[in-house]
Amino acid sequence: MLRRELVEVREWLPLDKFDLAFALARVTPGTNLLAFCAAVGWLLRGIAGAVAGVMAVTVPSAAVAVFFIYFFEASQNNRIAMAAIGGTVAAVAGMMWSTIWTLLKPHVGGNIRNLQVLLIAGGAFVASWKFGVTPLPIIAAGTFLGWAWQDPGSGRKQAGKP
Amino acid sequence: MNFFLLYFLLLKASLTSFSGLGSLPMIRQDFVVTRQALTDHQLNTAVVAGRTGPGPYGLYLVCVGYLAGGIPGAVAGLLALVTPAFLVIPLMLWLGKRADHPRVRDAIRGLLLAAAGLLLSAAMPLTQDAITGVFSIAVILVSFALLTFTKIDSAWLMAGAAVAGLATLLFR
Repeated sequence: MLRRELVEVREWLPLDKFDLAFALARVTPGTNLLAFCAAVGWLLRGIAGAVAGVMAVTVPSAAVAVFFIYFFEASQNNRIAMAAIGGTVAAVAGMMWSTIWTLLKPHVGGNIRNLQVLLIAGGAFVASWKFGVTPLPIIAAGTFLGWAWQDPGSGRKQAGKP
Repeated sequence: MNFFLLYFLLLKASLTSFSGLGSLPMIRQDFVVTRQALTDHQLNTAVVAGRTGPGPYGLYLVCVGYLAGGIPGAVAGLLALVTPAFLVIPLMLWLGKRADHPRVRDAIRGLLLAAAGLLLSAAMPLTQDAITGVFSIAVILVSFALLTFTKIDSAWLMAGAAVAGLATLLFR
């Protein structure tokens, strides 16, 4: 929707700038959508544009989220509200498993890639679940292992470039 | 909880994730396990509240902040959510097209795999908390299938799960 609006309809951004913002938002920590809004805002109006872009996406929805959490907390003794919340809590558990699936799926395929998934993702799980290692060193170790142990898929893609 | 400590803890989780729920393991570690500021049930409820309305996936950080520190906590959560987004500006200035470099991509891939393993570890106790009977197991399986294999908006899924939860009252 944003691409159509910004590149095609309003012609505020050339396609290559839009694609660069999209690619870099993918490698920016945090929520990719917010990084993308910051990048597009910055390209259009500098720092003020970046702040406006991010705040426009987050502030109204944050207010709605606070209303919901207030309502949920206030409804702890209400049987009807708790039944509805119980259903949504179960749906969130399904969402978590779906996120795990979505994170892992693109990295599966080929013996070496599968071994990387098993060792890095499996190792992170065991380190956290079994040995109680905190997330930060696990994230750091995973990043280092990924950097040091090149993905054969990305090597092929690079070699195949004209 | 102190505003700045809350901001720091939420920012730390936000900075070390690349997807909406990727920050969940660190949040659980800091708020549920280490500081016991929240229970697993409250953390689950925060994720629900973050997904019930419109907006980005990471919005549940605002709800975590609210539960731990009231309205100032929600503001800390909002600031922690948006702060990492501005890192894209120096990235655009200095990194440019090097973001496509194989080494950078491999490092991010390693980070994502570690995050998936951590999310698996965090999902276990949160799923245990969500399971209250056969009905909740069915909702977990259906929501997993719908989110994984269809393009359904998660807000619709939440609405459907709430209605299904209400329907269980009829059978009690």
